Amino acid sequence: MAATRPTGGLRPTLTILIMGALTLLTLQYRGAEPLSAFQRGVRDVIEPLRTVTDRVVSPVRSVWNGLLDYDELRAENERLADELARMRGRRLTAEADGELLERLLSEVGIDFAELDTVVVRILGTPPGNFSTHMIEVDKGSDDGLAEGMPVVTGAGLVGRLESVDRARSVVRLAVHPEFRVGVRLVGSQDEGLARGGGRSGFLVIDAGVRADTVVEAGEVVVTSGGRSRFPADIPVGRVMDPGSGGDFQREILVDPSASLENLSFLNVLLVTEERTFDPLVLLDPGGRSR
Amino acid sequence: MTGRFRVLALLLTAAALQATVFDEVRIDGVSVEYLLLVSVLAGFHGGPERGATVAFLAGLLHDSVGSTPLGVHALVYAPMAAVAGHLSVRLADGARALALVGLTASVMVGVTAAAGVGALFGLHPVSGVDLVSTATIAALTTVVVAGPTSRVVRWAVTGGLPVDIDLNEGTSAERTFGR
Repeated sequence: MAATRPTGGLRPTLTILIMGALTLLTLQYRGAEPLSAFQRGVRDVIEPLRTVTDRVVSPVRSVWNGLLDYDELRAENERLADELARMRGRRLTAEADGELLERLLSEVGIDFAELDTVVVRILGTPPGNFSTHMIEVDKGSDDGLAEGMPVVTGAGLVGRLESVDRARSVVRLAVHPEFRVGVRLVGSQDEGLARGGGRSGFLVIDAGVRADTVVEAGEVVVTSGGRSRFPADIPVGRVMDPGSGGDFQREILVDPSASLENLSFLNVLLVTEERTFDPLVLLDPGGRSR
Repeated sequence: MTGRFRVLALLLTAAALQATVFDEVRIDGVSVEYLLLVSVLAGFHGGPERGATVAFLAGLLHDSVGSTPLGVHALVYAPMAAVAGHLSVRLADGARALALVGLTASVMVGVTAAAGVGALFGLHPVSGVDLVSTATIAALTTVVVAGPTSRVVRWAVTGGLPVDIDLNEGTSAERTFGR
C-alpha cells in the first residue's frame, strides 16, 4: 500500500509560483533589462552546444531529406529550370526596353543596396513550438547586429531583428501579425502603415492611405523611411488587392516581394541610428525622407 | 550529490537537450516538449509540491532557451506538475498504459495551455487546427522519450529515496515506468 505524500503546503507554494511567473511576465513587458539579459545569458551559454549539434545533425538531415524528398527535389529542380528559362526571356525583353526599365528603377530607387550589410545564414525556427513567423540566423551582436535592424534580400524587405544574442539572432518576418512598417505607394506617392497579415502570407496597409486615392493592382510598395528605423525605398511588395476606395476602413493587400522559399542567406542592414521626425517633410510631401 | 544539485543537473541537461537535439529533430516542424515532460514526471515522482517547484524552474529555462517572454511556460508547467503529482497518488497499481495515456494527455494540455497563455500575453502562437496538430505530434514524440527520462527524473527529484513507499513492491512510479 502506498503512503500518501504530504500535500498540505501545495496551495501556498503553487500560489507563490504562479504569482512569481505573473510578476516576471509583467516585469518583462515593462522592459526589465535584467530579465532579458538573463535570457540572453542562458542562450549564449547553450549556443556552442547548439552549433556543435547543428554541425553533427545537418549532414544526417540532408541525407534523410534527400531520401524522403527525392521526388520533391526533382520537381523543384524542374520548376527552377523553367523559371530560369522564363527569366532569360524576361531579361531579353528588359534589354529591349532599357529606357523604360531605367526610368522605373529610378522611380523605385533601390538604393538600400548601398547600405552596409551583414550576410547571415538561416538556421531554421527558434527552439520551441510557438515561434510562428520567426526564423533564426547565425550571427549576433559579435558581428555588429542589434535589435530592430532591417533584414532584406535582393528582392526586398524580409523583416527585422527581434532579439540578438552574441552569436545568433531571431528575425521577425514581415508577415508576423505584430510587424509594422511605414510604406509608400510608388504610383500615388501616398504613405501609410502596413502590418503583417499572419497566416495569409500578405501585408495589409490599413492606415494612412486616403480613401479616394487611386491604387492599381500590381503597384509597387516601398518603405517610406522618415521616423521609421527602416531606410526609405526598400521594396516591400506589389499591391494584390487595392481594397475599396469608398470604404472608411480601407485595407490594401500587398504581396511581399521577398520570399524565403529556397533561401539560405539574408542581408541585415546595419542601420543603428534612431530616425527623428523632420518637419520639412510636411512642406515637401513628395520628397523622400531618409 | 545532494538533491538540489541533482535537480539543477537535471534541469540544465534537459534545457540543453531541448535546445539542441530535440530542436534539430522535428517532425512536421514540431519538436519534443522535453522540459514539459520533465515537469510532469517531476510531479509524478516527486509529488505535487516538489514537482511544481521543479516545473516552475523548468518553465523559466524553456522561456530562456526559446523566444518566449520569461514566465509563460513557468505559469503552465507548475500547475501541470501539481496535477500530475495528485493523480499519481491515486493511480492504481500496475496501470502503466493508463500512465502513458495520462502523460500523452498532459503534454497535449500543456502545449495547448502554453499557447493560450502566450496568446493572452500578446504572442501569436499556432492556433486552431495547427495547434491541435502541433499538440498531438508533440505529445506522441515526447512519450517516446519518457521511459529513460522517467528514471533520471525519479533519481533527481527523490534524492535516491522513494517518496511514497510500498512495503511490498516499491514506489508506484517504479511499478509504472520500471526501475
